[in-house]
Amino acid sequence: MTNEYSLIDQILAGEQHLYAELVNRYKSYAFTIALKILENRPEAEEAAQDAFIKAFHHLKGFNRESRFSTWLYRIAFNTAISYKRKRKGSYQSIENVIVEYEPGEDSLERNDKKKFINQAMSKLNEADRLALNLYYLQEFSLEEIAEITGMQANTVKVRVHRARQRLADELKSVLQKEALTL
Amino acid sequence: MNITQAQDDKLFEYIDGGLKGVEKESIEQLLKNSPALKARLEELRQLDTDLRAVKIEQPAKNFTQRVMNKLDQYPMRSGNLTFRNGILLLTGVMIAVGIGSLLVAGGVFDGTSIIDLNQTILQNKYIQKPLPAFNFNGKLIMNVIILLNLALAFLVLDRAILKPWFERRRMSV
Repeated sequence: MTNEYSLIDQILAGEQHLYAELVNRYKSYAFTIALKILENRPEAEEAAQDAFIKAFHHLKGFNRESRFSTWLYRIAFNTAISYKRKRKGSYQSIENVIVEYEPGEDSLERNDKKKFINQAMSKLNEADRLALNLYYLQEFSLEEIAEITGMQANTVKVRVHRARQRLADELKSVLQKEALTL
Repeated sequence: MNITQAQDDKLFEYIDGGLKGVEKESIEQLLKNSPALKARLEELRQLDTDLRAVKIEQPAKNFTQRVMNKLDQYPMRSGNLTFRNGILLLTGVMIAVGIGSLLVAGGVFDGTSIIDLNQTILQNKYIQKPLPAFNFNGKLIMNVIILLNLALAFLVLDRAILKPWFERRRMSV
């Protein structure tokens, strides 16, 4: 953390090129957050880049009471949300929802699982889906998710619980429907 | 047996490792005695495993380079109106609006004058045909100018003060 703060101090002192180090460190999570919200790779890439640029120009305003990453992810979250609002009304296929699985599973089973989870996920409301996605990135505590999304920690906890419960029920109903068509 | 909302919540807490001591023992006891609850636990555990398999996405390889190249573009996009300049411009516009309104209210522009183009040197020298005369309503023109200034004031207030203020509030975690 101290190392990170001294890096920020150097950037603020004019060593702009050092910002690349922060970008490299946090780009994956910032991009993943944007992707979970926008469900579209090129748009998520643009939103994540925009978030880093905004963060750079507001670096002086970072008050160091929270982790730099939390502050940055909040900017990424807000940027992605405003991108989504700008393109409201446009149709987004659930096939674009990106849920990747670790290798090791049988490809067919993996694709089916992916399809069923996507179907069930699409039935959740946006806030629940987002809370669930952030929770399962396994990088953030409930408090950090609350800080990133601007919700109360308790609200996040309840949302994650309810979203998992609804997802489990949706998944069950999707699988039952699938079994009936066989 | 129907699983209640509260039981589901407990099962999730159990899966997340959030239950300790008596609470943990109590749910384990319930699980031993209830096959339905045990089946629900397995469903939720399977879902949890599936969701945990979601991995972090990687952006394009040139992501960092593209961010670094765009770093200097941002201030241009957000406009060059600083907070201080915005306040000065806003004050100037409001003073102009105030003076204009006072003059209109004082009846300075109440009279209607006529601009007769035939009186101008232009007509005598270059144009031989008679030119029309125009009514000049000073009050109407001043009101339009005041309205335009008010619109400009709202724009400056939004760009130089409100927008940056909300932006700063959003950024300060």
